[in-house]
Amino acid sequence: MKKFTALLLTAAITLTGMMSTVSVLAEDVQLPREETLYFGGQQWGTVNSYNPIGTNQNNAMATTPQLIGSRTLMFETLYMYNFLDGSLTPLLADGDFAWNDDLTEMTVKIKDAAKWSDGSDVTSADVIRTFDIGVEIANGVGTGYGPYIDSIEAVDDKTFVIKAAVTEDGVPVNPLKVNDFLSAVLIAQAGWIDAVCERNNNDPTAIMNDAAEDVVWSGPYTKYFDDDQKVVLIRDDNYWGQDASMWGKLPVPKYIAHTIYADNAATEVAFKAGEIDVDQQFLPNIQNTWLEEDLPISTYMEEAPYGVCLTMPTAWYNMNNPVLAENTALRKAIAIAVDYDTIIANAMTNQSPSFADVPRSLMNPTEGEQALYDHEAVADLQWAGNDIDGANALLDEAGLTDTDGDGWREYNGEKISLNAVCPNGWTDWMAAMEVVAAAGKNIGVEITTLFPEWDTVQTVFTNPNQTEYDIFMWSPDGAGPSMPWGRVRQFLDGDLAGIENNWTGNWGQYKNDRATEIVKQIPLTSDPEELKALYTEAIQIYLTEVPSFSLMYRPAVFHAVNESVWTNYPEEGDGRNIPPADCTDGYGIAALYDLELVG
Amino acid sequence: MKGYRKYFGKKIIWFLITLVVAVILNFVLPRLMPNDPVAAITGKMAQGVTDASASQRIYEKYQEEFGTNKPMIEQFFIFVGNLFKGDLGTSFSQYPRKVSDILASSLGWTIALQLPAIIVGWLLGNLLGALAAYIRKGFDKVLLPMALFMSNIPAFGMAVIMLVLFAVKWKIAPTSGGYAYDMIPNFSWDFVKSVIAHYQLPFWSIVLISIGGQAVGMRSMSIYELNADYVKYARFLGIKDRKIVGYVFRNAMLPQVTGLAMSIGTMIGGALVAEIIFSYPGLGSTMFTAISGGDYPLISATTLIITLMVLVLSFLLDIIYGFIDPRVKAAQLD
Repeated sequence: MKKFTALLLTAAITLTGMMSTVSVLAEDVQLPREETLYFGGQQWGTVNSYNPIGTNQNNAMATTPQLIGSRTLMFETLYMYNFLDGSLTPLLADGDFAWNDDLTEMTVKIKDAAKWSDGSDVTSADVIRTFDIGVEIANGVGTGYGPYIDSIEAVDDKTFVIKAAVTEDGVPVNPLKVNDFLSAVLIAQAGWIDAVCERNNNDPTAIMNDAAEDVVWSGPYTKYFDDDQKVVLIRDDNYWGQDASMWGKLPVPKYIAHTIYADNAATEVAFKAGEIDVDQQFLPNIQNTWLEEDLPISTYMEEAPYGVCLTMPTAWYNMNNPVLAENTALRKAIAIAVDYDTIIANAMTNQSPSFADVPRSLMNPTEGEQALYDHEAVADLQWAGNDIDGANALLDEAGLTDTDGDGWREYNGEKISLNAVCPNGWTDWMAAMEVVAAAGKNIGVEITTLFPEWDTVQTVFTNPNQTEYDIFMWSPDGAGPSMPWGRVRQFLDGDLAGIENNWTGNWGQYKNDRATEIVKQIPLTSDPEELKALYTEAIQIYLTEVPSFSLMYRPAVFHAVNESVWTNYPEEGDGRNIPPADCTDGYGIAALYDLELVG
Repeated sequence: MKGYRKYFGKKIIWFLITLVVAVILNFVLPRLMPNDPVAAITGKMAQGVTDASASQRIYEKYQEEFGTNKPMIEQFFIFVGNLFKGDLGTSFSQYPRKVSDILASSLGWTIALQLPAIIVGWLLGNLLGALAAYIRKGFDKVLLPMALFMSNIPAFGMAVIMLVLFAVKWKIAPTSGGYAYDMIPNFSWDFVKSVIAHYQLPFWSIVLISIGGQAVGMRSMSIYELNADYVKYARFLGIKDRKIVGYVFRNAMLPQVTGLAMSIGTMIGGALVAEIIFSYPGLGSTMFTAISGGDYPLISATTLIITLMVLVLSFLLDIIYGFIDPRVKAAQLD
C-alpha cells in the first residue's frame, strides 16, 4: 500500500512538474476547429524567432523567403510570384514595375493603402532599409542580392528606384536577379530595424539572432502562440489588405496552426485523421487516400501527376573522375539505359509526368518554360530511357568494351566501376539510384549505390575537388522570376566549377565555354526570339554532352488537402489561376481568401 | 568507520576518473562523424543565393562563430571551460537556440513520461515475477510467458502496434503530441485531461516492454530464495507463510534494485523510440533530431546527461550497498 501511495505521489509530482513548464499566454485555450487552418510538413522544430531580417530563423510559417514565392502570412513581399504562369502580382507594390531601356534602373511604386501593424505607412524607406541592413549584416538579402543591386533610392515616400549593379562595361550584372528581389524579399519596417540595430549595438550576429518579440508586421497574420509542439498565428483584423486596392477582405481562417511532428510518418497519420488541413509532404500513392481509404483528401489535379512539377531531381556526373570526364559516350550510355518509367512508377508513384510526356530539356514541365525552346531542334537528342541496345552500341563504338571477359567493360585496361550516391532515408531518391545501378549492370558498367547521411552528401559534393562520389543525386532550383535561367546556370555554368563550398550549382564541375557564355547572355537578352535561340542551344549542348541527367520531375512544394473542415482550395481548371502552393507561398496565399467551411 | 571512509574514498576517485573519460568521449565521438554541420547550416542559408562567393562567406562566418575552424584540442578546452560556466553551447540544428534552453524544455516531458513508466513497469514486473514464483499456476503458465513475449517486441514495434490499434483503427487514443493539437497550454481541467490522454500510449508502450525482463529476474531470484535453508528452517519453526514470503522477497529484491537504478539512468536512450513515434516532445526526440542533424553540442549535452545520471545513480547505489550489505564493501576492498 505504501508503494502504491508512493507511486501516486510520484505521478502527481511529475505531472505538476510538467504543468509548471507550460506557460499560459493566450486567451483562447482551445482553437475553434472551424476558425483554424492546420498545416503540416513545413515546420520541423521549435520556432526560434519572428525576425524578418535574421537569416538564421527557422520560423517556417512566419518568415520563409523563397524563389518559388515567399510565405507572406506575417511579412510581405512587393510582388507575389505565381509559378503557374510566371506572373508577378503586386502585393505591397502598386501596379507593374518599370525597367529603363538598358535594364539598369527599375522603378517601383508602393500601394497607398499599405500599412504596418502600428498604423504607419509602408514607404520607400522601408524597402531601402531592408536592403541596406541586409548588405551591412550579410544576411540572406545582402548575400543573395548585394552582388546584383547597387543601391535602392527613394523618389518619394511611395516610389523608389532599384539601381542594378553594372559591370565595367556598363551592362547590368543580372537583371533577372533584381526581379527575384521583388517577389522573394520580405520587407521589414525601417523604424523597427533601427531599434533592433540599436539594442544589439550594430553587431551583425546579434541582429540576425534577435528574437524580434516587438516586431512590426504588414501581413494578415501575426504571432499568437508557440512552444515545442506547435506554432499558431492569429489574423490581424486591422490588416491593410482588406482595402479595395488589394484583397478587399480578410483571409477566412482566424488562426493558422502548425503542429510540430517528429517525422513524415507522424504527419501522415495526423493528415489522414483530419488534424491537418493542408499538407506539404510527399505521400506515396496519394490517390489511394480517396480511392481506397475513402478519405476526403484531394490534390490540385484529380489525375496523375496530381501536382505541378517544377523541378527535376538529377544525377550529376563528377567530372573529377577521368573515366566520366573523358568519355561522353559513357555518360550518355548510362543516361539512355536508365529505366525512367520504373523510377517514376515506383519512386514517385506516378506523381511525375514521364519523359515521353515531357521530353527532357533544361525546362520544368510548366507551359511557360516549355514554350521557351524549339522542341523540333532538339527532338533528335532527347531520350526516354531503357534503351539498352542503344547504350551498348554507343559504348562499343567508343571502344569501351569488355576485353577480359569478366562481364564488365574496361577503360584503359581498368574495369569501369562507379558509385551512385544520394542521402540516406530519402527513400524515393534511393529507389531511383538503385534503378541507375541496375541500368549499369545491363550495359556492363559496374555501378554500386551508396547512401550517406544528407549533410555528409552535401558536404562532399560542394567540395570542387571531391573524387568520392561518381554519380550523385541533387535537385536544381524549381521556379522563380529568374528561372529557367537559374536552372540552366546550375546545369551548365563553367564559372561555378572550382569554387570552394559551392552550393550554387554545377556540382559536377562541368566546363564548356560556349555554355558558360550562354549563361551570361540570357539575363541580358530581352528579345523573345533571341532568348529562345539561346535556350535551345543550351539544351542542345546539355543533351549532347550529358554532364548530368534528370531522373524524374517533381513538385517544388507538395500540396494535398483534407477537406473534412475546409473546402474550395485551388484546383486545376477552376479559373482562379491560384497555384497549389499550400495557400501560403507567393500568389498561393490568395487561396486563404476563398476558403469555405464544409457544410 | 575507517573501512567505510576508505571504501568511499576509493569509490569517489573511480567516479571522478570515469566522469573525465566520459566527458572526453562525449566530446570526441560525435565529432568523429563524417558530416560537417556547419556545411549543413550554410546549405540552408545559401538557398537561393546565386553568387557563389557569397555562400563561401556564409560558410566561413558560421565556422568562425562555432569555432569549428579551430583545432579539436582547442575546441575541447573551450567546451570544458564553458561546461563549468553551465554553458552547453549553441545548437547547430536549431541555431541560434541555446542547448540548455532546448534541454530545459524537453527534459520535463521525458522525466514525466519515463520515470513513472519505469517505476510502474518495475513494480508490475516484480509483482508478476514474485507471484509466478510463489503461486505458480496461471501466473507462471500464462501471464509470465505473455509478459516475456511482449518484452521481446522491439520498442518501436510496440509503439507502432499501439499507435495503429488504439489511435488509427479504434480511434480511442490521440495519435501524437503531448497535448491535443487544437489546444493552447493552460491551467484548466480540459488541458490536464488532454495531457493525460496523450500520456497513455507512450506510457504503456514503455511499461509493457519492461515488465517481462523484470519479472524473469524476480521469479528466478524468488524461487532460489524460496528453496533456501532459512526458509525451510523458518517453516519448521512454524512461522506464518506471509511472514516468510516477506523475508524471501526482501532478499530477492536486492539485485532488482540495481536493475531499477540502471533503467532510470538509461531512460532517455531506452524509450527514445516511443517519444519519436508519438511525436512526444521529450529528450528522446531531441536526441534523435540532434543525431540526424550532426548537431555535436546537442548530442554531447544529451549523452552527458545520460552519463551523469548513470554515474550518479550507480555511485549512490554503491554507497547504499556498502551500508545494506557489508559483504559488498568487504569484497571491493580486497
